[in-house]
Amino acid sequence: MIRVAAVADVHMDSDVLGRYRPALEELPDKADVLLLGGDLTRHGSAAEAECVATEFRDLGVPVIAVLGNHDHHRDQVPEVVKTLEGGGIAVLEGEGTVIDTPGGRLGVAGAKGFGGGFAGRCASAFGEPEMKAFVQTTCDAADRLSEALRRLECDVLVALTHYAPVPDTLLGEPLEIYPFLGSYLLGQAIDSAPTALAVHGHAHMGSERGVTPGGVKVRNVAHPVIKQAYSVFHLHARARAAA
Amino acid sequence: MNRRLDEYVEADVQRLLTEDVDLAEQGITVLRREQNLVLCGEVESQARRDEIERKVRAAFPDVAVLVDIGITRTQPPGEAEDLS
Repeated sequence: MIRVAAVADVHMDSDVLGRYRPALEELPDKADVLLLGGDLTRHGSAAEAECVATEFRDLGVPVIAVLGNHDHHRDQVPEVVKTLEGGGIAVLEGEGTVIDTPGGRLGVAGAKGFGGGFAGRCASAFGEPEMKAFVQTTCDAADRLSEALRRLECDVLVALTHYAPVPDTLLGEPLEIYPFLGSYLLGQAIDSAPTALAVHGHAHMGSERGVTPGGVKVRNVAHPVIKQAYSVFHLHARARAAA
Repeated sequence: MNRRLDEYVEADVQRLLTEDVDLAEQGITVLRREQNLVLCGEVESQARRDEIERKVRAAFPDVAVLVDIGITRTQPPGEAEDLS
């Protein structure tokens, strides 16, 4: 069994430093890895990233993250990534990593993702250049995620995004903003590999559980959704076959 | 200029919550209820909740604002979910 802890949308800044630490002290007893599903900061500044690095440093388990839209706001992504990596946090964007755990090799592929909507109600690459660029951004993110997932050799495969790959986990959000919350292209990427679990954030008013058309379980771990410091999932090498 | 509570105020408050440099909150729901504007959702600290209330009241002094924003809890999980 591999134990995966995850949370997203922690929106760290100096005013909340230390809030997660009591729960994080228990992490090594509960999980083999911690996944952070983006929106780690409020505005995407290097100073806020330093708060993230401080809060999630030296936890006794590997910490793997993707960035979210908030982490891009100040256009300081290289500084944010460098600061997070300085705190021992691996930041994935169209990349993957494999971790040896007592329960087997855990592969995690990550990408921020983007919006666009879901089957039958999605944006198309047509018309103005701005619209084509919007859709192409999602296509590129989904392609990177698919390639990263398919490259990994491991016993259990997990996809980590910020944006949602399915509409199921958006239940509770206004329907009108679904296209800004995720894209079916991310779900298609997740289904292109033997993924056991997909974890995302971004949808603060969404719901916890969903499933891709290919049968991959999806969990929205946005902090306001899970209402705890992190959630823990127990995965087994044949989790997808049993789904 | 006095502004009565209408759809344009609702939209402006929603944008203020996200775009104001001191707020940057996308997870707050803005509702028009009778004569009141209700703000609900969760944030990470009491200071952020207080700043939302202060900024919205200052920007829309003629609108009756009800704030029902909670602080997201950070206790450790009591149990794990088995996905076998």
